Amino acid sequence: MMLAMLVLLVAWSAPDGGRAAPSARTLRVLAWPGYADKEVVESFERRHGVRVEVSLVGSDEALWQKIGANRGGDFDVFAVNTAELQRYIDQGLVQAVDQAAIPNSGRQLARFRNLGAIAGLTRQGRAYGIPYTYSEMGLIYDRSQFARPPDSIAALWDPRYRGRVLAYNGASHNFSLAAQSLGSASPFRIGTTAWPDAVDRLIALRRNVLGFYSQPDEAVELFRRHGVALLFANYGRQQVQLLRAAGADIGYAIPREGALAWLDCWVISRGARDRGLAHAWIDHMLGKQASDLLVSRQGLANTVEAPPDHGPDDRLLWLEPVEDVGRRERLWARVMSGDRLGKVLEP
Amino acid sequence: MRFGIALRLGLLLAAIGILASGLTGYYAYTASRALLVQAAEERLLTANRVLARQIVAALENSGQDVRLLAEHHRAAAALLESDRRARSASEDEVAALFEGLLAKHPEYFQVRLISAAEHGLERVRIDRDDSGLVRVLGDDLQEKSHVPYVFETLKLPAGGVYFSSPAINHERGAHAGQGKPALQLAAPVYGTGGRVLGLVVVSLDMAGTFNMLAGGVPSGLGLYLAGRSGDFLVHPVPGRAFAFDRGQRALMQEEFPVTADLFAGRRDHVVSSVQPDSGETVVAAFNRRDLDKLRQGAFFVLGLSQPLHEVLKESDALGVTTLRIVLAFSALSFLLAMLLAHAITGPLNQMVRAVRRFASDRVTGPLPVRRHDEIGLLARSFADMQGQIQSQMDALHDKQCELDHLASHDSLTGLPNRRMFLDRLDHALARARRSGEQLAVLFFDLDRFKDINDTLGHAVGDVVLGTVAERLQNVVREADTVARLGGDEFVILLDGTRGDEAIALVARKVIDALAEPIHFEGHLLSVGVSIGISQYPRHGRDASEIVASADRAMYRAKGEGRGGYRFAEAPTALSPATGPLG
Repeated sequence: MMLAMLVLLVAWSAPDGGRAAPSARTLRVLAWPGYADKEVVESFERRHGVRVEVSLVGSDEALWQKIGANRGGDFDVFAVNTAELQRYIDQGLVQAVDQAAIPNSGRQLARFRNLGAIAGLTRQGRAYGIPYTYSEMGLIYDRSQFARPPDSIAALWDPRYRGRVLAYNGASHNFSLAAQSLGSASPFRIGTTAWPDAVDRLIALRRNVLGFYSQPDEAVELFRRHGVALLFANYGRQQVQLLRAAGADIGYAIPREGALAWLDCWVISRGARDRGLAHAWIDHMLGKQASDLLVSRQGLANTVEAPPDHGPDDRLLWLEPVEDVGRRERLWARVMSGDRLGKVLEP
Repeated sequence: MRFGIALRLGLLLAAIGILASGLTGYYAYTASRALLVQAAEERLLTANRVLARQIVAALENSGQDVRLLAEHHRAAAALLESDRRARSASEDEVAALFEGLLAKHPEYFQVRLISAAEHGLERVRIDRDDSGLVRVLGDDLQEKSHVPYVFETLKLPAGGVYFSSPAINHERGAHAGQGKPALQLAAPVYGTGGRVLGLVVVSLDMAGTFNMLAGGVPSGLGLYLAGRSGDFLVHPVPGRAFAFDRGQRALMQEEFPVTADLFAGRRDHVVSSVQPDSGETVVAAFNRRDLDKLRQGAFFVLGLSQPLHEVLKESDALGVTTLRIVLAFSALSFLLAMLLAHAITGPLNQMVRAVRRFASDRVTGPLPVRRHDEIGLLARSFADMQGQIQSQMDALHDKQCELDHLASHDSLTGLPNRRMFLDRLDHALARARRSGEQLAVLFFDLDRFKDINDTLGHAVGDVVLGTVAERLQNVVREADTVARLGGDEFVILLDGTRGDEAIALVARKVIDALAEPIHFEGHLLSVGVSIGISQYPRHGRDASEIVASADRAMYRAKGEGRGGYRFAEAPTALSPATGPLG
């Protein structure tokens, strides 16, 4: 009897070899900061009895790289704006979305529910994304350093604010910004001869800024520590909310050239393991919890209710696919590394 | 199986012995495991502290290197020089300085002198390449005013050193450092009058530095390093270090929740046995080192872990040894218990046997009376009691014998009485029937005895009877029985086949013996006898027939004159209604 007891005790104290294997169903989500907060993910995991693996991206380039890395096989569902979506459809990295399989799409505002009316969302009658959130990229300014709100994006190049401007580390938007500041009618289409001017303009921007941020948190920290006067809000109202929460006395302006605006949609990757689960995730993201959190925590607009402070005269430039993403990125990487004009324009 | 006291006592004692050795073994085993874990924790914590100190020392040394370069007069001179030729010459001198440093420190990827003017243009830049050191020149030099290590460093006072957050280096054209985890250390270069002219930046190869420092750590240990945010910078699982660079988070305080106190600043070290998400249970020690001297509010948490099964490897061997010892002691205690049980129950069994034997055979067996313990006392008491019973039984037996004798013998003559005679006759008849032998009965009474009794009194009669008895016993063989049937009637049983002549000889001997007068107190007393003889099987089949035949023969003898004998006649169909036996 004693021996049996000893054997049992020894067996109990032995390392446990029988850990539960991880759930076979794992949803791999690639999202932007603030899109898939912990509680939203957890409520989805609880409801569907699956594990969700969330990866975050901070730029369109990173997103393109990650999805492209394994021909869309590394993620099931991800969020991308309508402009960027075009190259994913071109390359067959996404698959069509079945709106009928997403009951919560019925809660959306009419302009987001009508997928065919949104440029770039449908191709040959098939929808490839479900609108989730949108934001315009306005200018955030420090009220104490501006007597009047900046009314043009030229303020980013204003030498009076040299070393006190924060820009965003992103190739496409920055080239669009440069084109806008150069008076281009279509900032998403840079003409063959216009490239040197655009690059020169970006080098000038580089020389005028304090630095380039990638994540909203990073921008808040730099803004506060370095007495930043002007910030290009790539994440839009989300950053207004963050900075105000951090105690900054800021204003938010839409420049007269028009603010670039993005509309982020949930899309299903070509390599999605479980289409049903991916649709369930999108449906979950249109639910009350996720939609409310977008507004209350991130300061972003959701697609189920109109924001209260939306200015009627605000000019928004919905993002469109750019003429040559690869070129913009190649050139931007050189600009960002500190190369001078001749070096950047080298073939 | 009979569960005797020996077996039960033995099993109980054995169980106690096995329990005692088993529990001792078990507690020794668990205590040893706890001690091993504790020792491992202390060992890991010590190694961790040493390594953390080395990391801080390495960072401080690198910081010192950067500061020394920034304070070198050639750095300021190169930045101040406006003449093209002189500027080039002084840049060459700085480059030589940098190359010397890089040659001495393989953990540095790159050393640069950057101007505060010209948008942070790199003025002197030496990169490490696979093939050696490369000096970057001309258009390849880049403007860095927009990167944190430049705009942050330019705001530092003289003598200050900027430590960047560890990150993967994505700068184009960074040669060996590109795509590798690196730390930028920078110090401002001040000119006269407190004007900041630029900065010196050193790129520290994090992986190389860490591997060099961790070289002294025994292999098999897991190394973890995290900065203020908790993001892993070093992790045994490659994908978990610098996960933030790939847009993911892998936080130390999530994988090891015990470290939350370290990040919150509530404690400076923790040791714990934990099971991280990434695998088996480990014993881990974490240590927080503040880097306030290097960068305000910066700190890192260093962790060292060892798989629990490796820590407990020694205890597994110990467990096997303990188990063997426990088994050996259990067997020994079982054996001892059985011996002890036998030692106690052996004497008890001896006494039981003695009691049984005494009860059945009334013989005292050996008893353990020499023992000086309770069993000895019990044995002695029992021996005393046995002796007492024995003597009482002996006395009882003597009385019994006496009573038996009285019941079967005539008190006056000492001869067997009628009852005993008939008993012996029955036995003799039974024996004769079985063996086919014969026997004879001589029956007689004393002539003139009544006269003696009447004239001389009963006392004289009694003397006569006693004398007669004495004489009769002298003439017969010991195996033959002489009995007094009562009054003056006697009978003699001759056992075994004898011829008529032999029987007659006995009769004549009797007659002759009794014919001799008896002298008593001056009287000469004379008695005679006539004897009737009957034989089995000739004169009767059973005792009464034989005695009756002898009786009748005696009367016929008397009728033929006294002092003779007469054999009985063959039996007639008639049985006598009355006889001497009634």
